[in-house]
Amino acid sequence: MFKIFINPGQFTKFADFIFKPLVSLSIISLLIGLIFIFFISPDDYQQGSTVKIMYVHVPAAWLSLLTFFIMTIYSIVALAFKIPFGFIINTAVAPIGAVFTLICLITGSLWGKPMWGTWWVWDARLTSVFILFLIYLIIIFLRHSFTNLEVGEKITALFIIIGSINLPIIKFSVDWWNTLHQPASISKFSSPSIDPAMLWPLIIMTISFSLIGLLLAIVRIKSEILDRKQLL
Amino acid sequence: MLIFRSIISIFLREYLITFRNFYNVLTVIVFFILGVLIFVFAIGPDKAIYSQIGIGIIWTLILLSTNLSLKKLYQDDFNDGNLILFYISGISLELIVIIKIITAWVFFQLPFLIIIPIVCLILNVTTDKIILLILTFIISSPILTALSSISGSMNLLNNKNFAIGSVIIILFSIPIIIFSVNIINSTTVLVTPQLNILLGILMLFLAITPWISATCIKIAIRNK
Repeated sequence: MFKIFINPGQFTKFADFIFKPLVSLSIISLLIGLIFIFFISPDDYQQGSTVKIMYVHVPAAWLSLLTFFIMTIYSIVALAFKIPFGFIINTAVAPIGAVFTLICLITGSLWGKPMWGTWWVWDARLTSVFILFLIYLIIIFLRHSFTNLEVGEKITALFIIIGSINLPIIKFSVDWWNTLHQPASISKFSSPSIDPAMLWPLIIMTISFSLIGLLLAIVRIKSEILDRKQLL
Repeated sequence: MLIFRSIISIFLREYLITFRNFYNVLTVIVFFILGVLIFVFAIGPDKAIYSQIGIGIIWTLILLSTNLSLKKLYQDDFNDGNLILFYISGISLELIVIIKIITAWVFFQLPFLIIIPIVCLILNVTTDKIILLILTFIISSPILTALSSISGSMNLLNNKNFAIGSVIIILFSIPIIIFSVNIINSTTVLVTPQLNILLGILMLFLAITPWISATCIKIAIRNK
């Protein structure tokens, strides 16, 4: 059971097994989420219908952080225990995280124009997420700038471990500094300060976003494994 | 005793190399002054603006000249085989990285201490700000040296992408620039806490840099 996370062969078998259910589940959850957003969830009394940007913005932000966290864990595991599957994961997952971060930034600035009056402000949360996007880009570039594949992977894993300093800064930036960006509405330790009518669509959209991300990741990891088999 | 003798010989070697190429250091300083000149041409000769943004200009240019001089900190030693000799010499690579950082700081960063007050006078920065600027420079420039050590050792085998080393240095120097410029522009109450944060960052980087650089150098030597 545990081997599917570190063994390419086992992972491919398991991925083939869950691929079709995953596709149908992600389509169903995305449809339910979209129906909830457009027809059932209410407008905000201050923000009007722009509040519906939240259902794309928040899941994309969470998933960009989650992707980097997974990459950090796999880099540490791959470097410490010499498991090359971690490098495969890093190569495959980095562009997905970059796209999620870009979606988060674009929807955020689309939301910021009607609410805050500007497309962009240099406050702590926005700047740190922008730096996260740059780190994703550098990870992709660094991987491709070495002629020796093995060296490139190891150096990239080291860079990911150093770059993970940014994760706690993003998470706590709204608590440490007085920012224009609001603090987190949903936390684990207290009851959420968001109405259930808006919480449920958010949860469904988060689930469907993570399913879609997982789907893309599986496709990319499988193609990466096939690539490396050809190199041997 | 043998270790001390070899450490001193490495120091002497670095000193000789830097002293014979002393025009290198001077060129970096000329680059710094030219950068200030370019800013003056780009923004205009109004002196009231420079008392506000002069510190930012000086820090940006310090960062860029560090980039220029220290990006290839290990490249020459790696190409002519000196790093392999260090590797088999019996001293640990981590210690060699520390020695390299100290020598690079002394030979390439300390000369800025002479030129910074002069540039501050040109840019109309007041005297108490100059003292704070020198203080923050003494704390922050070792961090910049450590960062360039990290990126230089990461890019030893990189022969396709020449700009990514500078990008890595600039990316990780963002917090240093934030705190260094904020100290000078903030009120007197907030100076000490921000200096403490900067010292904390310095301690963190002095602690982790030798390990990261040594790991990268080992990877590079084994795959040469």
